[in-house]
Amino acid sequence: MDIGGILLIIGAALAAIAAILYFDWRSRGKKLAAKPKDTKAVEASKLAPIVSQTAEQDVEHIFNEDFREELRNRGRLHFEKIIGENAMFLQQDLRQTTTQLNDYMRAEISRTLQMEFKKYEQSIVDAKQLALDSMEKTVTTIEQQRQLLETQMQTQTEAERNQIIARFEEQLAGIVNHYVMQAIGNQIDLSDQLEFIIAELENNKAAILEDIKRGA
Amino acid sequence: MALKKKIFALPVQITGRTDINRLLRELEQIEQASISNAATKGKAIAAPEPSNMLKQVAAANGYELGSSDGRQQLAAALAKIHDHAPLLHISFASEPSPKVVETLLQWLRSNIHVYTLLQIGLAPAIGAGCVLRTPNKIFDLSLGASLQKQKPYLVQLIKGAALKQQAPAPTAGDK
Repeated sequence: MDIGGILLIIGAALAAIAAILYFDWRSRGKKLAAKPKDTKAVEASKLAPIVSQTAEQDVEHIFNEDFREELRNRGRLHFEKIIGENAMFLQQDLRQTTTQLNDYMRAEISRTLQMEFKKYEQSIVDAKQLALDSMEKTVTTIEQQRQLLETQMQTQTEAERNQIIARFEEQLAGIVNHYVMQAIGNQIDLSDQLEFIIAELENNKAAILEDIKRGA
Repeated sequence: MALKKKIFALPVQITGRTDINRLLRELEQIEQASISNAATKGKAIAAPEPSNMLKQVAAANGYELGSSDGRQQLAAALAKIHDHAPLLHISFASEPSPKVVETLLQWLRSNIHVYTLLQIGLAPAIGAGCVLRTPNKIFDLSLGASLQKQKPYLVQLIKGAALKQQAPAPTAGDK
């Protein structure tokens, strides 16, 4: 029950009390103001002033100031009693409502918090999983890159090594040839070279003949 | 009488055009002296003595150096050789001895052309062997070229030696 309901109850109670008091006062006023309308009433109307006077006297005698005061007091007391009772009920109801409201609020807040915590926890788990997946992918990519780089470096190193070795062999062959020529070239007599020269001429005989024929 | 075309015998001492030119000059001098003697009638002008090479050439081919016809025929034959014989240029690292040149020329005239003439040059850079230049080609028959041809074999030898050097030394158990 909310505060609006409580205020509605209080308002209804106050309206009921006000209505009771109003109708009590009206009924008393009508009884006192009632008049005869028929012929008999005309006759009676003649008697009316007397009756009225007598009644007023009686009324004044019965409902004198003390009696009215007593009635007022009794009404006030009755009203206070009703107000007190209603206030007590209202207080009890209010306490109960407050308690229920607290329980309700606590339960709602707890439920909402639980839900939010669950969502938050789920978000953290998802984020963690996402981060783990990302890290795993990164590690895999890095590993692949490393392997590729390693292969490339090995290939390149191998190629460079082979190139250096080939160049070294080439240069070394040139150096050896040069050394041999410098060392023994001038030391060999042409007579000793004749055999080699004639052998070389024999090897190139066909080409020499061909060229001389063409030249001629 | 059947005409037999006689092959002109060119001695190996005549190596190149220079030698032929010298012989031709010699023949011309002899011819000039002969003409002068005929013109002066009695006041003989000493004719130049023919060189051994000229005598040898004339004897080898049956020409009389004393007769004008023989000299003219010899001169014509030599001039023909001078103009038409194949000329090869050969370079050596050092000055070749006459024996070497003769041996080479003998081979060339036996195997390449009977009137082959040589022009000899020097190329110290070739080390050993020779470089032969024909009208259109150059044949590098030097030691350097030969070594260059054998380069793959040399590289193979070097590689083998390097691998042997890299291989672990054999243990006692391997022996």
